[in-house]
Amino acid sequence: MKKLLVSMLALGLLTGCGGKADEPAGQSAVPFDQALHDSLPQAVRDRGYIRFVTDASYAPMESFAADGRTIVGFEPDLADAIGQVLGIRIQIVTGPFQTALDKVADGTYEGVLSAMTDTAEREKKADFVDYLSAGSSIIVQRGNPHRVADLTGLCGNVVAIEKGTIQADLLHRTQSECDGRPMKINEYKTNADALLQLRTGRAVAVLNDFPAATHLATDSRTKDYYELASTAQYDPGLIGIPFAKNNSQLRDAVKGALDQVVATGTYADLLQRWNLSSGAVKAVSINGATQD
Amino acid sequence: MFATYLGASLLPIGALATVLLNGVQEDAAKQGRDQGVAQAAVIAEMAVAPALDAADLSRGLTESERDSLAKATDLALFHGSVLRMRLRTFTGQVVYSDDGSTSGGVPVSDPAFHSATVGVAGATMIADANEAGGKVIRVLQPVFARASGEAIGVLELYLPYDKIDQRLHEQMVVTYWRLGGGLGVLYLALGLISWSTTRSLRRYAARQEHEALHDGLTGLPNREAFRQRATAALREDKGGAVVVVDLNRFKEVNDTLGHHAGDELLKVITARLRGGVRQQDTVARLGGDEFALIVPGADADEVRVMLESLRTVLTSEVVLDGVPLTIEASFGIALYPAHGAEVEELLRHADAAMYQGKRGTADIVVWTGERTRHPTQWLVVQAELRHALDRDELVLFYQPKVSLSDGTICGVEALVRWQHPERGLLPPSEFLPAAEQSGLIEPLTAWVLRRALTDQAAWAAAGRDWTVSVNVSARNLEAADFAGMVEALLAEFGTAPDRLVLEVTETAMVDDRATSMAAIHRLAGRGIGFSMDDFGTGYTSLERLRGVPLVELKIDRTFVATVLEEKENQAIVHAVIALSRGLGCRVTAEGVETAEIADWLAAAGCDEAQGYHYSRPMPWAQISVPIPEEAIR
Repeated sequence: MKKLLVSMLALGLLTGCGGKADEPAGQSAVPFDQALHDSLPQAVRDRGYIRFVTDASYAPMESFAADGRTIVGFEPDLADAIGQVLGIRIQIVTGPFQTALDKVADGTYEGVLSAMTDTAEREKKADFVDYLSAGSSIIVQRGNPHRVADLTGLCGNVVAIEKGTIQADLLHRTQSECDGRPMKINEYKTNADALLQLRTGRAVAVLNDFPAATHLATDSRTKDYYELASTAQYDPGLIGIPFAKNNSQLRDAVKGALDQVVATGTYADLLQRWNLSSGAVKAVSINGATQD
Repeated sequence: MFATYLGASLLPIGALATVLLNGVQEDAAKQGRDQGVAQAAVIAEMAVAPALDAADLSRGLTESERDSLAKATDLALFHGSVLRMRLRTFTGQVVYSDDGSTSGGVPVSDPAFHSATVGVAGATMIADANEAGGKVIRVLQPVFARASGEAIGVLELYLPYDKIDQRLHEQMVVTYWRLGGGLGVLYLALGLISWSTTRSLRRYAARQEHEALHDGLTGLPNREAFRQRATAALREDKGGAVVVVDLNRFKEVNDTLGHHAGDELLKVITARLRGGVRQQDTVARLGGDEFALIVPGADADEVRVMLESLRTVLTSEVVLDGVPLTIEASFGIALYPAHGAEVEELLRHADAAMYQGKRGTADIVVWTGERTRHPTQWLVVQAELRHALDRDELVLFYQPKVSLSDGTICGVEALVRWQHPERGLLPPSEFLPAAEQSGLIEPLTAWVLRRALTDQAAWAAAGRDWTVSVNVSARNLEAADFAGMVEALLAEFGTAPDRLVLEVTETAMVDDRATSMAAIHRLAGRGIGFSMDDFGTGYTSLERLRGVPLVELKIDRTFVATVLEEKENQAIVHAVIALSRGLGCRVTAEGVETAEIADWLAAAGCDEAQGYHYSRPMPWAQISVPIPEEAIR
């Protein structure tokens, strides 16, 4: 109890020194950039914050802390760093992944920060600022009881998947290779719901981005139940933050801020912290899926 | 002391018991709450959360969510496993309750509610008179409705405590018994240890105290104990006496029969002393052959009477190693408060009185004042006297004895004086007691005899036919070869034995001692005269006069000085004269200071007289012979 008190006190001191209450303790500070701040849309500067929507069931990118309310992970930390450079607060709001893009398009939220892969299809609805590269991996139960080795191994089985993800697309595209033994693809509102199906044996596999899949297979709380079917990454692509097509001013400001985050080394530090270094991009890009 | 230990050890044991029991109670209460939290967690996850999969509490529950929640919890509520239940939003709004109400519940400001909103479940014991046991457990538990671990609200559950309480109570009773038993055994062990420790300490202390205050050989109180008891007796203000008892010639027993016999003798003496005193008296051994008595509440006469009978007991024959012995003792008495207020002072006075008795005629002496010289002064005198003998500082004066019938000088008494280099000419009373007390009396007497015989030879040559009288102490007579020494001197000077008279005090003369009597008879047989000095002042019975060969009885000056005025003295003098006639010896009156007394004595039939009327003691050559009869002769 005493120890806890001491560490809480230390935390309080650190946050106190940091100047901003929501700044993660000990993170190397990224300097505020007045020019970037000035480049923000007037409305954002007036309001002082922007809102990104997320589905917090995708550790280590984002997930709920033990209290069930705080969202932690690489992306919340990255959002904090962007906020510091821009001099605004970035709120993370939970919501379904499937409808997240639409909510950005209609202006409910300024962006999606939920490990959303940049695709040509999605670029039709929004502009992406890409900051991470990853493919998809197949997660199976520990011991791989159904001997799933690749995507076609899923044919004739039940596969659980989060609605609206590129992995859901990938599965549907793979159906054509199943030759009369189609997969039963069950789609769920959150990734956690899909994983629950796998955990309880109602599905034989779940597809996740490689970082999230690796986390599941290695984290001490989950590694007893999950493993990767193979090391293969399907459909490698870039992960980014989508902004509404008519919000290029904000998009460019965030892009500029991310450039700073990369340049100052904070990006590399955060990647290392969350064990995501393998997904690092050399430079932040806009709409990378179609600009290659 | 043991009780103190018990009391003192009760304190830490009591404190320990209190701490342990408090701990047990706290543990039990915490255990109860923990159990409530665990139960609530299971209820929340298994019954509540599944029913709320997609719920957004801030918008309230849908009909189907409400139904499934009711189904999931009905049975538990019905059977009383859950007493009451509310589902609340983070802002505190009640969105579901077991009885359909939307009011009540924990205030939002309650810290427990706040804890639950930030993910920490907490249980509190609530008094509730309506429930069995009077207590319920209230649990505030965050509801993690989704697989993602997102909390959607707070579950407020009231769980029955009576069963938990009952089980905890049973456990506590067992624990109490174990604790009580353990502490009891601990207390008992401590008690036993302290009891045995205090007991041995007490015994040790008692033994130490006894040893410190008692004499190992006789078991009598020692000098220190005597001092303590005497001090206590002095404080009582009753008056009484301190008596010092010293055994005569104890050293001889030790030397001749061995220490074993000496120890044996001391034990016999101890038993006799104990038997001879009253219940309230104290007998102590001061050391060696010296004992002391405390006789409270007795005056001088009573003490004397008591000591007389004690002496009789004490001096009865003892057989040690087959040797029959008679031990004599000297008693010195100091009365308190008359003779001193301090124990040391009384002891010193009693001691002095005892020594006075030793060198005098009495065995039992009451201290009479500072005239009694302190023994330590004697030591000085003894040391100086030793030198005096070597340096020839002693001189002999002579006092004539005059025949009352014709006034002629028929003899002289040799009286020793000490020409002290610092103190001048000292009378015998200044140094004889000290000499008497030590062995010095023997060389002193030998010196006196030699000088007297030398002088006699001188005045014989000058034509004077005087006998010479020399005082001899009891101690001289007891000396191993006194008779031989006298005979040798007579032979050396060629003196006729009848020219020498040895004057002995009553006590020395009538002493039962074989050596003394043998010496007297041997010398008397040679023709040497024996005179009894200071007759009438001792305590001897006349019976003892039988068998003692006397040529002279000397009437003590106390009778002579006032013989003209006091009829009793006249009677006594008459009687002594008659007695001497019967014994066949002559009578000499001492201390004759006037012609009238001389006349009276002559008329009474006294043979000879000596005193200032005739001459003071002086060197023989100065003895003038102005008496007409001398010229006649």
